[in-house]
Amino acid sequence: MAEPARIPGGKAIWVGIFAELTEFTLMFLVYFFARINHPQAFHEGPQKLSLAAGTANTVIMLTSSYFVARAVLAMRKSRPDITLRWLFAALFTALGYPIIKVLEIRWNLDHGVVGRGDVFQMSYYYLTFNHLVHVSWGLLGMVWIMFRTGFGAYTANNHSGLVAFASYWHATDLIWLMIFPLFYVLP
Amino acid sequence: MITANKLNLSWLILMILTLSGMLVGEYAEAGFWITVSVAAVTALKGRLIIDQFMELGQASPLIYRIVKIFGLVVPALMILTYLLGPELAQVTQLPD
Repeated sequence: MAEPARIPGGKAIWVGIFAELTEFTLMFLVYFFARINHPQAFHEGPQKLSLAAGTANTVIMLTSSYFVARAVLAMRKSRPDITLRWLFAALFTALGYPIIKVLEIRWNLDHGVVGRGDVFQMSYYYLTFNHLVHVSWGLLGMVWIMFRTGFGAYTANNHSGLVAFASYWHATDLIWLMIFPLFYVLP
Repeated sequence: MITANKLNLSWLILMILTLSGMLVGEYAEAGFWITVSVAAVTALKGRLIIDQFMELGQASPLIYRIVKIFGLVVPALMILTYLLGPELAQVTQLPD
């Protein structure tokens, strides 16, 4: 009998991840629809945003994702203590994301980038706020996984909860990797 | 199977690609090859996350395929809208 196909973290988390990917795919389609109809606003848009803030949040998301991948690897080697340390590093790094966002929004408001601005600015706020919501859920999930790891809920052979969280966190990172060039880089 | 060294190397490449993106955002003017470069870097970064961090190469082929397609949608649309933006705008507008 053929071995069943592996679903990392279980079916439930992948329902959530596919819903997340579908939601953002639709928002990306709206972005490109707006871009082709308002090319000037999208050409000038990235110059009005803080590239430093966008880059900092990309580094934060990627590094936090890397720490989570190392946490999963440590659990496979039966080292929950090391897993917990990697998760602390991931949480500490990821908390920089909302902090940078708050600073970025204050910078935006000082520079006239507002939600009622042009179509580029509206798209930017809509997509990035949605992403911030997904990151916030991920941060709550990360704290829960840290408690579970700390109380010995996972072993090298049974840590699907940890993998489920890691899959969600990496997917949220993947989405940010698409958002970053659209708003901060692409001229 | 993923190893610590592979993860370290992936993270390093992702950092270099991110900083290269920052330089493009700071200095580059709009153009076909800049658009292609940004799209290629975006696709490559996405693929590193999918293959190295998520390890989906070892997962169900359906999951792997869907997530890989997601990682290509934005890069493909970057190039498509650069090449055919005005034509696509005409098609997507309602008649007066």
